[in-house]
Order: sequence, then C-alpha cells, then structure tokens
Amino acid sequence: MASLSLFSRLIVRPARREPARSLLIVLAVALGVSVVLAIDLASSAAAGSFRSSMETLAGDNDLEVTAVGGVADQIVGQLAILPYSIRVSPRIEDHATVVASGETVPLIAIDVVAEANSHKDQQAQNQNVDSRKIETPKIDGFKHINDADAIWTTRQLAGKVGDKITLLINDQKRDYTVRGFVPESAQVNGNVVLMDIAAAQNATGKAGHVDRILLKVPEQPGFDVWQQKLRAVLPSGVELNAQGSQTAANRRMLSAFRWNLGILSYVALLVGAFLIYNTISVSVVRRRADIGTIRALGASRNTILAAFLAEAAVFGFVGAVLALPLGRLMATGAVRLLATTVDALYISSRPGSLSLSGESVVLALVVGIGVAVVSALAPAREASLVPPTEAMARGAREYTIRVERTRDAWIALALALAAALAARFPAIAGKPLFGYLSALLLIAASALAIPALVFWITSVASTTLRKFMGVEAMLASRSLAGSLRRTSVLVAALSTAIAMMTSVGIMVGSFRQTVTTWMDSQLPADLYLRPAGDPSADRHPTIALDLTDRIARLPGVESVSRFRAYEIQYEGLPVTLGSAETNLSRFYQSSGFLSRRPAKDVLKELLSPDAAIVSEPFANKHHAKAGDVLTLPLGEKLVKLRIVDIFYDYANERGYVILDRSTILRYLPDPSASNLAVYLAPEADLETVRNEIKASAAHSEVLIFSNRDIRHEAIRIFDQTFAITYALEAIAILVAVMGVAGALMSIVIDRRREFGLLRFLGAASSQIRKLILVEAGLIGILSNIAGVVLGVLLSLVLIFVINKQSFGWTIQFHWPVAILLGALTGVYVATVLAGIYPARIAQRLNPIEVVHEE
Amino acid sequence: MQSAATEDPISRLLSVERVTKEYKTDGEPVRALHDLSIEIGSGRFVALVGRSGCGKSTLLNLAGAMDFPTSGHVLLDGIATDQLSETQLTQLRREKVGFIFQSFQLLHTLSAIENIELPLLLAGHGNPRPQARERLVSVGLAELADRMPHQLSGGQMQRVAIARALVHSPRILLADEPTGNLDTATGNSILEELQRICIAHKTTILMATHSAESASFVDTVVHMRDGHIEEIVRS
Repeated sequence: MASLSLFSRLIVRPARREPARSLLIVLAVALGVSVVLAIDLASSAAAGSFRSSMETLAGDNDLEVTAVGGVADQIVGQLAILPYSIRVSPRIEDHATVVASGETVPLIAIDVVAEANSHKDQQAQNQNVDSRKIETPKIDGFKHINDADAIWTTRQLAGKVGDKITLLINDQKRDYTVRGFVPESAQVNGNVVLMDIAAAQNATGKAGHVDRILLKVPEQPGFDVWQQKLRAVLPSGVELNAQGSQTAANRRMLSAFRWNLGILSYVALLVGAFLIYNTISVSVVRRRADIGTIRALGASRNTILAAFLAEAAVFGFVGAVLALPLGRLMATGAVRLLATTVDALYISSRPGSLSLSGESVVLALVVGIGVAVVSALAPAREASLVPPTEAMARGAREYTIRVERTRDAWIALALALAAALAARFPAIAGKPLFGYLSALLLIAASALAIPALVFWITSVASTTLRKFMGVEAMLASRSLAGSLRRTSVLVAALSTAIAMMTSVGIMVGSFRQTVTTWMDSQLPADLYLRPAGDPSADRHPTIALDLTDRIARLPGVESVSRFRAYEIQYEGLPVTLGSAETNLSRFYQSSGFLSRRPAKDVLKELLSPDAAIVSEPFANKHHAKAGDVLTLPLGEKLVKLRIVDIFYDYANERGYVILDRSTILRYLPDPSASNLAVYLAPEADLETVRNEIKASAAHSEVLIFSNRDIRHEAIRIFDQTFAITYALEAIAILVAVMGVAGALMSIVIDRRREFGLLRFLGAASSQIRKLILVEAGLIGILSNIAGVVLGVLLSLVLIFVINKQSFGWTIQFHWPVAILLGALTGVYVATVLAGIYPARIAQRLNPIEVVHEE
Repeated sequence: MQSAATEDPISRLLSVERVTKEYKTDGEPVRALHDLSIEIGSGRFVALVGRSGCGKSTLLNLAGAMDFPTSGHVLLDGIATDQLSETQLTQLRREKVGFIFQSFQLLHTLSAIENIELPLLLAGHGNPRPQARERLVSVGLAELADRMPHQLSGGQMQRVAIARALVHSPRILLADEPTGNLDTATGNSILEELQRICIAHKTTILMATHSAESASFVDTVVHMRDGHIEEIVRS
C-alpha cells in the first residue's frame, strides 16, 4: 500500500501534470509495437496461406509421391495393386483463373469415385474420421461425376448449383457447371475449385500424369518401414516424402524473407526506445531534487528504481494495449503488399485471415512492456543513485556528461571496428545473425559518437551561425551543446530512423538499378508471351504447342525461343527448373556469369549432355559452385547434372537450375512452353507483328508484352515489393519526428525561465520562436548528418552481408541521389515543422511568471 | 491616492500614476498594487522595501514595461507603456531598461562575456564585444571573461549580471533583490557597485529589497505594505 502511495506521488502525479509527455511515450510504444504486431500478423497471413487449400483439403494422409513433370498414371496403378492396405489418392494440383472476377484459385482434382469408396471403407472401419478430409460431393452432384464440365466450388464462387463458371486454365478458357459445394467442414482457406481427375488432366494438359499421390498407410509395422517398402517399388526419379514436406519446404524458403521483414519491423520500436529513454531521462533530471528529498525521507534506492521502472512498465502496457487495434488495422494494409511479394518472389499465395490471437496479445504486451522497461533501465538506475543531499545544478550535471564525450567517442570507434569484424562472419543456419549484430554495433557506435559530433559541430558552428542567422541561432546552438545528453539522445533517435531510411533507400535503389541493368542483358527479345492469369513464382501454366509454330511462321518473326519451367525441390527447398533454347535465341547470350567468362563460351558448354547453369540465389542457398554435380529427379530418373557456371539472376529468390531444351526433353518430353520470347527481323514493325500474333492467338488466352512492357511490369512489381519497407521506414521517421516535437516541448518547459529572461533582456517574442525553430532545424541537420553517415555504413552491411547471406543476390552499390535528397529534405522540414507548436508555446510564456517562479 | 515622491517634471524618468494591479489566482482576484502613485527622477537610487507580497516585484515589472496596470498609467521617460505595441515595448526595453535578478539569471551555456553581449545581440548589434568587455572591466572581472557561469562565485555572477544589465546603457536599472542570494559582505560590495554606477552614469536604479540595511546605499527608501506606499524616506 505504501509503495502504491509512493508510486502515485512520485510518478503518477508528475505524469498527470505533463499529459503531453505521457502521451508521447504511450504513442511511441503504441506505434512501435503496432508495427511489429502488424508485420507479424500480416506475414503469417500472407506467407502462411500458401499451404491453405492444397493442404487443408489433403486429408489425413501419411506420405506423398511426387515427380518433376508429374507422376505417371501407371505409378498410381502400381501403388493401388500392391498387396497392402493403403489408401492411394492421386491428385492434380494447379491453378485456374475465374474469368468473371479475375481471381486465381487453386484447382484440385481427385479421383472422386475412388475417394468416395475409400472414405466409406475408412468410416466403416474407424468412426474417428478427420473432419477436414475431402468430403465426397453430395449426391445431387455425384451423378454428374463423369461430366467433363462438372466442378465443385466453395460457396463464395457460385450462387447455386447449376451455375456456369468460365475458368482460364493454362492459356484456354473453358466453361464449367457447378455441381455442388465444398462442405464448410473442410475449412478451406479462400476459394477453391474441385473437379474429377480425368477432366482436370484434360484441362491442364497433364494427360497420363498426376501432380501428387497421397498415401494413407496402416499404423503397423511403422512409418519408416512403409516408406522403405514403397520406395522399393517406385522409380528412382520419383520422390516419396512425408505428407506436408512441400509445406515445410515452402516455410523454410520463406523463413529468411519473414525473418528480415520481422527485423525491419523492429526499427520503429528501436527509435521509440531512444525516445522513451530520452523522456524518462529528462524526467529524472527534472525530478532530481524531489528524488533527493524522498531519499532523505527514507526511500531506498530500490524503491526509486522500482518506481521509475514501474512507470515505464505502465506506459509500455498502455502503449501495447493501444497497439492491438492499431496493429490489426495496419496489418490489413500490410497483408496485401506482402502477399504480392510472396507471389512474385516465392510461391502462390492468398492472404489468409488476420487473427488477433492470444499469442499476438502476449507478443504486444511483452514487446511493449519489455522495450519500455529496458529503455528506462539506465535513467531509472540514475534516479536510484541520486543522493539524499542532491543539490547539483543542471549546468554542472550536463558538464559532467560533456566531459565523458571523448571516452564515448573512443568506445564508439571500438564498436565500429567490432561491427566491421562481425560483418566478415558467415551466416548461421541461413540467417545473417552476424550481419545484424554488425548493424546493431554500428547503431550503438553512432549513438556513442553523437555527443562528440554534436558538441564539435555546435561549438564550431555557433559563431558562424550567429553571423549568418543572428543571435537566436547562436543561442540555439549553445543550448543544444549545453544540454548535450538530451540533444544526443534526440539526434540518436532521429538519426537512427534516418539511417534506416537511407540504408534501405540505398539498398533498394542499388537493387533497382542492378535489376534494371540486368534486364538489359536478360530481356533481349522484342515480345514475350505467357498464359493469361495472375503470375506467380511457382506457377508455370503452359501455352498451346501449335501456337509457337504459328508465331514462328509469321512474317517479321525471326525466331521464337521457348522457355519451360517446372517446380522441383532440391535439398528440401523449392527451386525452379527451367529449360531454354540457348542456341537458337539470343536468350542468355549477354548474361552475366560469376566466372566472368564470355556468355557464348558458357552456353556452348551448356549444350553438352547433362550440363546446367544455376542462378546466384540457388548457388548461395545450396553452396553450389561451378564444376559441382547436382542430382535431380527428372521424370522417373535421378539425373546427375554438372554445373557449368553460375549466372546473375534477380527474377525470384527461389533460385533457378537452367538446362538446354535439348537436355530437358530427354527426361521430360513434354514440349509445351511456359513462356515464349519472340525475336523480330530487323526490318519488322513491332506493333504490326504484335497484332499478327494477337490474331494467331485468338483462341488462346495469352498475354503479349513488348520488351518495354515487361521491364515496366518488372519494375512495378519490384516497387510494390519494397513498398512495405518504405511504409515501415515512414513509421519509424514519424515516431522520431514525434519524439522531436515532444522533446522540444519539454525543452520549452525546462527552459521557460531562460526564455522569460531573454524577454527581460530585450528579446522580441518572434526571436524566441526563431530560437526554437532554429533548434529544431539544427537537430534535423545534425540528425541528417549522423543518419546519412550511419545509413551509408548500414547500407553496405545490408547489401554485402545481410542481403547476400539471406537471399544470395549480388547488388551493385548505387547512390539513389534524388530519392535520398528528397527524403532527407522531407525529414528536415518535418523536424522544423515539429518545432512550430513548441515555439508557439515558448512565444506565449509569461516572462514574469517564469522568471520569478523559483 | 497614496503618497508620492514628486520630482521635478524635467528630470522625471518614471511616473506611476494611480496604478492598480490585480492578478487572478485560482480564479480569485488578488490585488498586488492599489491606487499607487510615485515619480522617480533621473540618476536616483531608490530602494523599495517591504515584506514578501507587498508589491515590490510587481512595481518593478510595471516600471520595466514587462507588465501593465489593471488601471492607471506607467510612464517611462514620458512614454505610457500601455499605449505601445509589442514591437515598441521590446524596443523600449532594449533602449531604456536593464534588469538584475536575485538569482543572477545567467545563461549556463554562455561565458561571462557572452552573457554580457546578449542584450546587444538581441537588439541587433553587429559587434558587441568591445562594449561588453568595457562593462566587464568596469565591474572588475576583466580576467574572467571566458569563464562559464558555473565557474564563477555568487558575487562574480551578480557582477556579470550587473554588467549585462548596463551594457546597453539603459536609463533605468531595475534590480529585484540583487543581494538576496549573497552573503552580507558580497551583498554590500554589490550595493556599492550599484551606487557607483548610479552616480557615474546618472542611471536611475529602482531596487526591490527586504533589507533595511540597503538604505545606507540609496538616496530614497520607499516603504511598501499590502500594495500601498507607506512612507518615503529621502537621505
């Protein structure tokens, strides 16, 4: 009770007297935590949804059989006639675009009759059936099972049974009739289309193949034994894995992306931590006399420490509670952006539902209270050390801190060296832990170097400032140097936000420039074709075979290069296997290779049997180098492929293995192409040929892009991908600018006597306003200087360590000067604007009251 | 009307005419000065003596055009302060008024000489250093020009504050308990300094003080009580 009373008098009352300060801390925590929460929720929803329908509809199976290019129907038969009591469920898993809405949905095909019988048997044997398994379509639709146009959908896709739906599958539109609905009990995430396997094989061009065979095996004699038994009957190129291994592989693939995004989301919180530290420090300095008095009246050091930490915890708690709805709201916007990125770079994704679970609440509370308490530790400790005979003036206190700036600068140098050292260590389990350590050390080094920087710059600049901007500028500059600790923390907070903006800006700008340059060499064709529908890194619908020939025969077309892509897994991670006509076209002719060998030499080698080139992200993930041998399951065989070279690639993060078309056709004889690159004859007119291709493709749903279109589209996707990072930085900057506004408010409160005095000494009220605005401007300039220096160093770590270790891309360093100048000017202006309200308050102070109040 | 110290109109610098000043504290009006009149001529050293709350500081603020009467008028060098705009008031203070405070009120972030320069800089002077140095020399602290306030003793700080108050050669110096934070010996030396300035520069000094001992340094003592002038004693 006594503690509560003391807490109330020492902490709560001052907090209530300064609602602006209290509100500022709460808002800083709330914004920081809400960003963390939003990214956590959104990345779970965006990245987690890829397992959605495919897996929720997979039922309670144990094993899955897959093969690159599909599993032959015969294997389904072989498994079905084995003398074991196993359930065999072949499936086609593809995507279809609902033409009316443009929505791309999973297309799942099952052997409806077999499934129905199998489940009946199972139900008879065991009443405890998994409620999520596929329920056989209801009887009213079952009689249509042999109709080629029969589909079953989720309820949102069709109004009633019997409705017609046009689906775009590969490059063909087909009309279907809804014969029933997927039951609610299946708990499908999003929409889905089901059809019979025979119809699907016809529609998707996978005649004679299925995508996956799911197997349910009896409990005895054990999972491993069953795996061995079944492995023995399968061809070597056909894979047998535990069910869900694809999901696990996808999760592994996305982990670096999610991890890095998560880390980025903590930036606003870090900036918030600086501001909490600053606000509580100011509060401690301001209450030193009170603390001394309370100590003299019998309070122990621990009591004081606990009181200030409890204050921080309360602020953290309130901020975290506010962050829950705010984070949920932010997540709604973030999830769309993230889903686009996941789709473009990784895998088909559909935003899942956002749920504010108990875990989210715990995360918000732990992060909010944690960051507030940790930020308050140092000032709270300082408060606990205030002696009962406290009588030190603020001037003397600041002077003590000023003396320590040299020592701090040396520590900063040591930390910077440690950062350089940490940047040289490799990733741990694919995560650039030392890269992040290096970044943290740099931020710490910067924070410690800032007092020296502020003192040096303000000392040197004060005379010059007086000359050019008047006495107010000199007073502002001296005041910043005089309140060195407060200024340093403010500059550290704002400069950290600016540094993150600068570093991410440089990284993204460099990346963008690198991709643009790369596209110059990688997109030599004049026109590109792909099947209509949403593009995604893991979907490779095909184009009708005869279209390629028709296009090749058109006047003005010099050649057509076919690119075919397949989804494969290598070392438990998804990879895109591609084949290209490297001899025919100019494809890859000007590609850059890590070996720096001329492209024509590398491509000549690629024509040799079982040769492959791999992309840089693949090489990085799988530690592959030129000369290594990859063993890939192709068709029914395990094929050993020699890596001829590694090429730079920025198309996606999954990684590519590229073979010559002649090589891949030996193992996967399907000649269909996923994309076409059309090269025009020198005299041909682009628009004329484009129109001719359109006419030729009248019966195929393909999209035709000119070289310029495709570059534009690529850059659009690129910018969309990084939009979330800009949003996160903007929030960090907002938190920092809020901090500056709050700090300027407390500066006005703390120095009101000084402002009053200046009025007595002849200052006009406009001079007081100018003083505050110049102070805000100086904080902005100092933060920009420190932020840019730190930002450039961080960008080096981001580009050459964190990005390289996480994603494996080589990014050429590039200065996005215009963007940086714009952003820095924006921050500077925002900082000055943040001074307007405090300046107005200072201007309105009654000099008599403030000078005589002590 | 309260008692007044009538001066020769030609040498009159400060005229306080039937001034009443009311404040509001917690919504309740509090009368700090009540129908008070006084006239002070150039070159006079006047002490306002009385208990806390008797209205001394209020009178100083009115005299320095930092505050305005609820009724009545204050004329500084013949100019009614309540008739001036904000800009004109600032100009008036810059030219004619200097302030000294009990707690010195030096800026921690400026050295002694920079503190003294401040009024001139605020008034827009380009090169105030020679004047500031001259004032510092006149208060006997020439060698301490570059010291920061926390490196000075209380007496030294008050001398710097006096130099600052005089740097722009004001017609009137308003001192609010200038010796209140000093020991007797140092306090007396400050009063001697003020006395010397008053004589040497013909600067009018109006000083609020608790101390009756100050009377020996001034030429007029105004005794105040509850917002009124009780008695005026000339030496």
